[in-house]
Amino acid sequence: MATEAATPVAVMNQVRARARRTSRIASLAVVVFAVVLPLIPPFNGQDYTRYLVSAAFMAAMAVAFDFTAGYINIVNFGFAAFVGVGAYTSGLLAADLGISPWIGMLAGAVTAGFVGLLTGMLTLRLRGIYAAVMTWFVGLALMGLARNMTEVTRGSLGLNVPLLLDTSDNLPYYYVILAMLLVTITVLTIATRSSLGLAFRAIGMNLQAARASGINPTRFLVINFTLSCAFAGWLGGFYAHYYGILTPDIMLTSHTVEVLAVAYIGGRGSLWGPAIIAFPLTIGVELLRTQFSNLPGLHLVLYGLLLIVVMIFWPGGFAGGVRRVGARLEARWEARMKKDAAEAEPEPVPGA
Amino acid sequence: MTTATNLRAVPFARRFLTFTWAVIGLVVLVMVAFAFIQPSILVDTLVTGGMWALMAGGLALVFGVMNIPNFAHGEFFMIGSLVAFTVFSPIQDALLANPSSVILKVAGPFPGMIVAAVVGFVCGVLLEVVLFRPLRKRSREQWVMNTFLLTAGVSVLLVNGDRLVFGNDFRGITRYWDVKPIQILGVSVSVDRAMVFVIAMVMIAVFAVFLQRTRTGRAMRAVSQDETGAQMAGIGLNRIFVLTMGLSCALAALAGAALLFMYPSFPDVGIQPLYLAWYVVILAGLGNVQGAIIGAFIVALLQTLAVYYVGLGWVDVLPTAFIILILLFKPSGLFGSEVKGVWEQ
Repeated sequence: MATEAATPVAVMNQVRARARRTSRIASLAVVVFAVVLPLIPPFNGQDYTRYLVSAAFMAAMAVAFDFTAGYINIVNFGFAAFVGVGAYTSGLLAADLGISPWIGMLAGAVTAGFVGLLTGMLTLRLRGIYAAVMTWFVGLALMGLARNMTEVTRGSLGLNVPLLLDTSDNLPYYYVILAMLLVTITVLTIATRSSLGLAFRAIGMNLQAARASGINPTRFLVINFTLSCAFAGWLGGFYAHYYGILTPDIMLTSHTVEVLAVAYIGGRGSLWGPAIIAFPLTIGVELLRTQFSNLPGLHLVLYGLLLIVVMIFWPGGFAGGVRRVGARLEARWEARMKKDAAEAEPEPVPGA
Repeated sequence: MTTATNLRAVPFARRFLTFTWAVIGLVVLVMVAFAFIQPSILVDTLVTGGMWALMAGGLALVFGVMNIPNFAHGEFFMIGSLVAFTVFSPIQDALLANPSSVILKVAGPFPGMIVAAVVGFVCGVLLEVVLFRPLRKRSREQWVMNTFLLTAGVSVLLVNGDRLVFGNDFRGITRYWDVKPIQILGVSVSVDRAMVFVIAMVMIAVFAVFLQRTRTGRAMRAVSQDETGAQMAGIGLNRIFVLTMGLSCALAALAGAALLFMYPSFPDVGIQPLYLAWYVVILAGLGNVQGAIIGAFIVALLQTLAVYYVGLGWVDVLPTAFIILILLFKPSGLFGSEVKGVWEQ
């Protein structure tokens, strides 16, 4: 046993196992923390719970956004429009046909996913910047539709939507959106770890090489894009039934940029980075907004500055920082294990 | 670039020219047709088209030379309109105080526009020196996408910075030149709108001569064709980048200043000019300056037609549908793109 432990491969495996265990414990701790957070003062007040709801909502959107931006390297500039498509689908179904919001939210996911599929098939044959700009145009067109089809959406007058829960308390909503966040991150993480995810990564890193190794890029790009849009639509449904009123402003490009900022500050291509960083960012921003309500735009100035700083000086974002700490920890464990092994077995028998 | 690509470029250039002329001919034909059916459509197209050409020309130039898809381009439009308003307001007051002053009446609006262009230039230079140069030094990996997101951050910063400092108010004027409208083709056109067209045409002409005939303009085009080659020929890249960014932003600011009577200054005022300029640039092919100027009139025509026949709110929807259709058949835009390697970035 001792000789096996001393081989470099075995040490590496042990280190890896320990790293996996640690990250599992850490993520469990984060989830537990998120669950009990609204029970701890000062977060148990109604105001703070409301901030927590918008934080979890932002986190879930940033995760869905990062799924395309971080993995296949396509920035969906029309993201807010897809959220809006889901919101309007669910809202209209509930308001006009009286369909339960829970089913409506899923219908919103299906509609947004379908629109995403069409958009993806049209635009993802184009690369990089063209795709980003085209998704932006599609988003603008969708917002234009929502603005103009006033007989359906009531335009900027606003559509009144029945609420999701029969309560004005924010706490139940927080647990709903937290559950949705966890579902989003779990499903998308599983997707990125499957063979599908391998293809995504390959395409995101080097399209030509991926194509050369027999991957049909467009197909995988469209799958990824559709999945991300479907989650956007599902979350949009929550938005509609949480706020109870819908205007086409939900589809504004500035909302996409906000989500984008959170996703990049959190660290692209990690999914959990944006989810975690969304909480302090959104809560801080909401506090700023209430503290300085006479200074409109202050919080967005902060978002813009942070995005610029991250883009230039810290491209890994929050997740990159955590990863660097993790790598250092692993190196330390490895060194210690090697030392321990060497002390336990001063003369390893060669060939035993 | 190797010689092989240069050889292949010759027939392409010829094809490019004929196709361009076909499109120009078609657009002119449609416009002439409308001159008989509904002359005001022609006038509107020319006026707005001239300004979108200024916006889109700058956007295309920056993309062609520096490979930066500038998402903050509309914010320089906003800065231009803000500066023009600030400069023009006291002049307007002076004009009200002594309405007989001919100099104030004729030349009054120009200081605002000139100062706006200068401020736009300075802002562009700052953007290059403070943001793009450090990023370029650090890494040029995925440059196009990273600068796009970077400029998205700049856009959010500038829009909300404006909101923070100047508040959410509209700052506009009713007109620059307080004179009776003139008659063109039986349509009465306000002098402001006619002047906007004249300014746009003059600026485009100056811009074209600068790019074609001056040493610096040639250097700019050289950099847009091949950065390394230009560097080997002794062109200082940093100087060209600073100048390009400054020029592009100055044009956008000038457009904002000249259109102040139509677009009152407001934090979000730049978003519509921004996406219209982007429509134009994508339609024409990224980085193609001449194409952008033609494309501007095409987009202006579509926009005007949408306003006249469908309704004001459909201005965004119709051109988008058209552009998506075009891109399905010609993915590199109407006039192709001289920028190579962008597809994979």
